[in-house]
Amino acid sequence: MTQPNGAGQADVRKRVAITGIGIVSPLGIGRQEFWTNLVEGRSGVAPIASIDVTSYPCKLAAEVKGFNPADYLGDKGLKYLTKGTKFLTSAIKMALEDARLNTNGHFPEHAGVIIGSALGNYSQTTDYTYNIFKLGPEKLLPMASFDVALNSSINFASVFFKLKGPSRTISSGFTSSMDAIGNAFNLIRSGRDNLLIAGGVEQLSLDSYLIFLLQGLLSGSNNSGPELSRPFGRHRNGFVLGEGGYVVILEELESARSRGVKIYGEVVGYGTTYIGSNRFSLEEKISRAQRVMELALEDGSLSGESLDLIYANGNSSNLLDMIEARAIKGLSGDSSKKALVTSVKPLAGECYGAAGALQVVSCVLAMENSLVPPIANLEDPDPECNLNLVTKKALQIDIRSAMVNSLDPAGNGSCLVLKRNQQ
Amino acid sequence: MRRVVVTGIGLVTALGANVKESWEAMLAGKDGISEITSFDTSRYKVHRACEVKKLNFNGHIITKKPFTVYDCLLASAREALEDSGLDGYEPLRRDRVGVSIGTLAGELSLFEQRLRNHHLNKADGFDIEVALSYPPMTLSTQLAEEFHMEGPNIILINACSSGNHAISWAFDAIREGKVDAMIVGGSDVVPQTEFTHFHNLKSLAPEKCQPFDKNRQGLVVGAGAGVLILESMELAHRRDAKIYAEVRGYGLSSDGYHMTAPHPSGEGPMRAMEVALASAGLSYKDIDYISAHGTGTPLNDKMETLALQTVFREMAQDIPCSSVKSMIGHTMGAASAIESIVCCMAIKEGAIPPTINYETEDPECNLNCVPNQARECKTNYALNNSFAFGGNNASVVFGRVHLPVERGSVI
Repeated sequence: MTQPNGAGQADVRKRVAITGIGIVSPLGIGRQEFWTNLVEGRSGVAPIASIDVTSYPCKLAAEVKGFNPADYLGDKGLKYLTKGTKFLTSAIKMALEDARLNTNGHFPEHAGVIIGSALGNYSQTTDYTYNIFKLGPEKLLPMASFDVALNSSINFASVFFKLKGPSRTISSGFTSSMDAIGNAFNLIRSGRDNLLIAGGVEQLSLDSYLIFLLQGLLSGSNNSGPELSRPFGRHRNGFVLGEGGYVVILEELESARSRGVKIYGEVVGYGTTYIGSNRFSLEEKISRAQRVMELALEDGSLSGESLDLIYANGNSSNLLDMIEARAIKGLSGDSSKKALVTSVKPLAGECYGAAGALQVVSCVLAMENSLVPPIANLEDPDPECNLNLVTKKALQIDIRSAMVNSLDPAGNGSCLVLKRNQQ
Repeated sequence: MRRVVVTGIGLVTALGANVKESWEAMLAGKDGISEITSFDTSRYKVHRACEVKKLNFNGHIITKKPFTVYDCLLASAREALEDSGLDGYEPLRRDRVGVSIGTLAGELSLFEQRLRNHHLNKADGFDIEVALSYPPMTLSTQLAEEFHMEGPNIILINACSSGNHAISWAFDAIREGKVDAMIVGGSDVVPQTEFTHFHNLKSLAPEKCQPFDKNRQGLVVGAGAGVLILESMELAHRRDAKIYAEVRGYGLSSDGYHMTAPHPSGEGPMRAMEVALASAGLSYKDIDYISAHGTGTPLNDKMETLALQTVFREMAQDIPCSSVKSMIGHTMGAASAIESIVCCMAIKEGAIPPTINYETEDPECNLNCVPNQARECKTNYALNNSFAFGGNNASVVFGRVHLPVERGSVI
């Protein structure tokens, strides 16, 4: 018997099911719309509308469009919430309903929430800072700081759904949401918790735009050619920004079965380690990235051969895509020949801290539908990224196990291994 | 499951630039509060905070302010690492040593400094230096770079319980054998933004922080950092390290109630403490010292008392339960890391720092808050509480390691 939020016992090793998915994405709201657009290759990338970029070189991003938060959260108090909080809370609401968990305040008491976000509501924190100088501190009403903390989206969600379990925000750069899902997986597997909402959230803002632009990471910055995300492409030149809220419900397998709820699949392994050191040579970075994948496979007691699909980090960065490709190539067995490799980022954008969760939901839907969407915009693959890349059209294939990669060029590599539910 | 011990500690507070100075000043009941110097407070009703006055930069004492969050973090991490001797252990596998750090605001004050001088547009606040230090993650990767540690890097953003979250993340990773050791801690300074936020919510005390006092008026913000070296007991024994205490367990919970106010019943904190005790395999009767969240706000201290009375029953009035926030202020993301170090020192030194500025008893805070005077107390087990905005609660239990009896039975 699992002790909810309990100590975790030495010999406990629970299985962890995915029972719900919630999506607020540039590719659509909700899993059906998202999946249809993903398979049909309808891009979420368009000229940036939510911030003024006239004086800057990069003009495109994948922004969430056609999203009405009142559909999920009601009308009350919406004006006090940031865009990110609306994304996250709505995605959680969808995921809870998908998992057939009541969201009218009678939620299982012990549920918790673990969310990854690299920047959180930092852009609203800095708006507040700006207003201190522009308007004066005495002009800022108490409600002006209601939802402006880095982690306030997660706090709001925990209050909104009256969650009593842990609430935690993990901010490990580009791997934030992968580390959040990995952490939630560990906490359920060890018997400490048995129902956790996990995922990621990011919002496009002047702040996120400028910090990536100033670092020269965006496609088209530094006169690097046309703005286009084409992971593993010969002429790739950086990423196109995205945003969104992506959430899964993780649940101890037996308790999910006893509820009779649909089980999408299981999380079976997670690995994370530091790959981004300035001291590492290129070869070391590649072997570290490979090591992350091996850690996750070992954690899930899976060998490289049995992988059918790899949902790649592939974000169209020059160096990082090559590192990832060569790391995958280095995996033992014939997995790099057999496993299909795809990336969702050309269509949904690089939503940094939320990207791991974006890829996990994409991967779960691919397993569910036995269909692998192609890497959009990939006309001319880089010979150095010689993988079993899915291009041009979606491939029908039975996916029993899959790996999802999340890599931060200056931080962690983190990796999750999923298995389809065995009926 | 492996056992997890604390083998090194480092502190930067308003009371001192290292553990020794801070600890001695705490036992002497000194107040670290002073007039704020890092920004102009003339448009505020409150002018005082517990800012850091000096830092040890690699052996040199620097008093030139303002210090960044990373400055404070680095100084305490260096002290903790040197204290532990981990860095000099030749067979150490650096890919199995990670970093987990808690913070509330990260390097927000760098953005403020830039914007303070040019604020025609918000974009004026950004340059490459700000861009590179803006994501909180850079605190942890900079430490990894500085000390050549190559295990996982994590930042926990859980407002005022961030430090305890960072400790519990590391505890799990070591216990499950994913890593051998972690550099763990929290760091924050006093950004004008957070000061304004607390000020405008009327959470700040104008003169002094008075936890559990009938006339308490609020919290005092503080700057500081605390870093602990956590490692498996196996590794600590193998390299014959000095052990301060064992991390026995932790508990997390949410109030699920309100964005800024705690649930008045203290029900969320109560669950965090009960889970922490269960996770440590202990009863409430085993606890000798409680490092209270004790912010000095009217709501928190009343709520925390109720929660303590529920968990500790007949012992609630007797167990020493002090708040060092009365002396070093509320250091936000660093607070529970710093207070974890206080718990380790209580276990190691057999002394408990007081709650200062305590003048008038409050029947609603009927606790033994160790008023004004430090006391001796043999401490086998200590509980560290942190209850953050948003109803985000984390408690950690530390215990004495009884070496002669238990040695050899744990590996």
